[in-house]
Amino acid sequence: MGPRMSSSANTIAVGKKSPPIYSREVVLFGCIALLALFVLFTATISRMYHKKIHVLADDWFDQGEASFRAGDTKSAWTDDRNALVYSPNNTKFQFHLAQALAAAGRGEEARSYLLSLLSESPGDGEVNLALARIATHKGLIPEALRYYHSAIYGEWESDPIGMRWQVRRELAEYLLDRGLQQQAVPGIIALADSTPPNDTERLRVVGNLFLRAKLWNRALDVFRAVSSANNSDEDALLGAGISAFNLGQYNLALDYFEQLPEKDRSSPEIAEMCRTAQQVKDMNPFVGELSREAKARKAANALSLATARLRECAGQDGQSLSTAPQTPLQEALPNSKQISTKWSWQNIAKYPETMDEAMGRAFEMENAAATACGEPKGADRALWLLGHSRGVPAQ
Amino acid sequence: MTEPSVLVRPNTAASPLTAVSASNSRPGFRAVWEGWTNRVFTMREDRFFLFLAVLIGVFSGLAVVCFRIAIEWTQIELLGSSLSPPIPRVILAPILGGLAVALLVIYVFPRARGSGVNQTKSAVYVSNGYIPFDTVVGKFITCALAIGSGHSLGPEDPSLQMGAGIASLLGRRLRLSQEKVRLIAPVGAAAGLAAAFNAPISAVLFVLEEVIGTWSAGVLGAIVLAAISSVVTMRAFLGPESMFRVPPFRVAKPADLLAYVALGIVGGLASLVFLKWLAYARPRILSLPRWTQHFQPAVAGLLIGIIGIRLPQVMGAGYPIIDQAMHGQFTWKLLLILAGLKILATGFSFLSGTPGGMFAPSLFIGAMLGGAVGAIEQHFFPALPGNVGTFALVGMSTFFAGFLRVPITSVFMVIEVSGNYTAILPVMISSLIAYGISRSYIKVPLFDLLARQDGLVLPSVEERREQLILTVEDAMRVDAALVLEPGDKVTEVIKRLEAREDLLCFLRVRPGEWNLIERSELQRLVADASPTHTLAEAKSKGPLPFVFRDMSLEEALHWAGDWPALPVLSRADLSKLEGVVTLDDILKAFRKVPVG
Repeated sequence: MGPRMSSSANTIAVGKKSPPIYSREVVLFGCIALLALFVLFTATISRMYHKKIHVLADDWFDQGEASFRAGDTKSAWTDDRNALVYSPNNTKFQFHLAQALAAAGRGEEARSYLLSLLSESPGDGEVNLALARIATHKGLIPEALRYYHSAIYGEWESDPIGMRWQVRRELAEYLLDRGLQQQAVPGIIALADSTPPNDTERLRVVGNLFLRAKLWNRALDVFRAVSSANNSDEDALLGAGISAFNLGQYNLALDYFEQLPEKDRSSPEIAEMCRTAQQVKDMNPFVGELSREAKARKAANALSLATARLRECAGQDGQSLSTAPQTPLQEALPNSKQISTKWSWQNIAKYPETMDEAMGRAFEMENAAATACGEPKGADRALWLLGHSRGVPAQ
Repeated sequence: MTEPSVLVRPNTAASPLTAVSASNSRPGFRAVWEGWTNRVFTMREDRFFLFLAVLIGVFSGLAVVCFRIAIEWTQIELLGSSLSPPIPRVILAPILGGLAVALLVIYVFPRARGSGVNQTKSAVYVSNGYIPFDTVVGKFITCALAIGSGHSLGPEDPSLQMGAGIASLLGRRLRLSQEKVRLIAPVGAAAGLAAAFNAPISAVLFVLEEVIGTWSAGVLGAIVLAAISSVVTMRAFLGPESMFRVPPFRVAKPADLLAYVALGIVGGLASLVFLKWLAYARPRILSLPRWTQHFQPAVAGLLIGIIGIRLPQVMGAGYPIIDQAMHGQFTWKLLLILAGLKILATGFSFLSGTPGGMFAPSLFIGAMLGGAVGAIEQHFFPALPGNVGTFALVGMSTFFAGFLRVPITSVFMVIEVSGNYTAILPVMISSLIAYGISRSYIKVPLFDLLARQDGLVLPSVEERREQLILTVEDAMRVDAALVLEPGDKVTEVIKRLEAREDLLCFLRVRPGEWNLIERSELQRLVADASPTHTLAEAKSKGPLPFVFRDMSLEEALHWAGDWPALPVLSRADLSKLEGVVTLDDILKAFRKVPVG
């Protein structure tokens, strides 16, 4: 638009040379014929142009994809951007550009493209998932949850069931990573419901999520189902063992742990669980096959173990157990006469109905000690856990 | 527009087409042809004008499609297909493009130089609608070459002029009346601009706001038809998509709009800087020796190429870059740098006389400024809800309003090019602030300024728009008449008149029928010495034409010369006199208004 004095003067100078005069019909007919030719010409040019820019767009996009796959995210987003110049409304290009930007750590720029895409198709699962991931990186939990849920209930071009399952899993893991078990539970339950019963791979994943969410019963059910399909599935056996242990089903836990190969059992956590489960099993007087004497001995041993733990705890806490009972520790301790006479193994063996009372007192003492001095260890822990598995509530 | 003349149908018997139809062996063809020609050629010129507007729209749409393809193709061939072209191309393409453009403009298409808007305006006001067709061809070739080689100019202004040129040619060839030929250039201009922007409403508003300057119902229909048909044509070939895709946005609280006030101020100041620079530098460049015109575009190309080595975003029209800015692809510092450098680059291209438009660069600059304000807001006030994309969008409108001084067009244009109505409130606030700032410090708008620098005194649409329209209320006198009834006794009326000798006597015959009685007539009746004379017996002048207080003084002037005074009546009650106006009152009111 570089204007000059001469230019305007040129425009003002009206052309004086008269054009040849034709009737209006002729001119109009000529115009319409010319218009038809012009349309044909424009259509040809336009087709050639579109063909060219499509080729350019595809070339740049392919380059971008190759760079992305090679891990060169900077080249990827530069190429995707070039592709977008020639096909600005191509949502696939926009999405890939956003992905490349997000991978290059330019989350805010990626988010902007994704929001544009979302405004065009709010129910797009892929876009919502990408936005959710960006929100997780920024630590925006409510926003991430919103996009994850939109992705779960959104539309997916291919394998919608599988994709929704994956998004639920990702959401559950995200919440569990942040210690939000309560919020994760409904999602994990929905995930389990949407998992085909013969898909052991996915059942294993669901079981592990239940473990992380401390839903032991559901975890045990899932792992039991997996191990029944394949009784040498180590993950399933391990998961089932852990679930059974936490449910207080120590014998069952031991059964599962014993089926594991030695290398799996040697990990410190599992080894500790095995040891504790074995101790619980050994201490448990409530087993039907045991003789009356054996039960009585186990009950008396439990009582003396709990008494020792209580005394030790009282000593740590500076409490005297000889004074009148005022504190929970003092109240929990039975008098020495009772211990030596009523709950001697001989007396219990003689009067088996006293065994429950004796064990109840032992569990009570372990509970009181655990409340005052913290969770017990070793044999005390086994006794304490046995109490829990018998339904003795923690104080 | 209201001329009742029916076009005389040319002698079809003598026309070659009739001969063609006569020789056609199919019996139905002749009847169909004659029926069609009868309908087309015997229609009133008004209707034919509307039909022609559609034709102009389609032609302009096709021309703009070819023009846009030519620009992009040239750009791909000269600069390559990447957004970051290799350095040799960045330097050489604008230099060689500038050189070629200079030679073409000097030796082949001298009329291609200049502002398309002003050339269309001068066609309307100076040359009876005449725009030579070689201007269209020249604009097409030189602008495609200039913009495609990286000069910082846009395709909208040339498209506008191409549309006007096509319309002018068709109007002349179809032998429209002189008045219609004069009015047809803006119709084509609207068609060209609408296709270039993919925005029919904005194109119509721009032509009304900037080229014609009035809302003339007669031309409005044709302009709208032309704009719509050109956009439909353009979309058939290039697709219906909006030019920009803006991320979603909402204003949560009125306080959120404060940032847009800041954007309005920034945009207004930036447009001032750009305008002042152009106003200062252009006369100086024009005064350089004529031989330098051979090299000015090439020198501008060199300077743009130097900028383009580091920031190729400033080259060309820059629409893809605006899109990137809207998607938050640049930091606020880079956005500010791009805005500043685009002002420089556009100034170089424009001042060097390279043909091309200022619309796209002004949108670019506005988008960068808006994006910068948005990014700063996000950086320093993350709690505020605005996003960079919306700020870039609003920024476009803001700078456009401040720089080109077309506030209404700028508001609608941004909404149309983005297909997004959610930002209308911020757009209006920001644009009006920028427009206000620009007007306060530079009295003459850009296009008027350019015209005056070229020695043309085209009517200033902005001045005309703001001209004070005087109404009857400004001239009328309230207590200057005595309202009389036919049954009033003459002697009593004489007594009432004694106190005020300047009072006029209006006789209310019935609602809406008022007569004037002169004092001499009353004196004559009193001289008869009959106390029972009533005014019904008096000779009066009338019925008088009456006016209303909100009517323009021009309308009142039609009758004021024929009657000593006109009654000003209430629109709600034609028996109620609100005042009196005379020719002398009207002239006094006109004299009070300062001229210019």
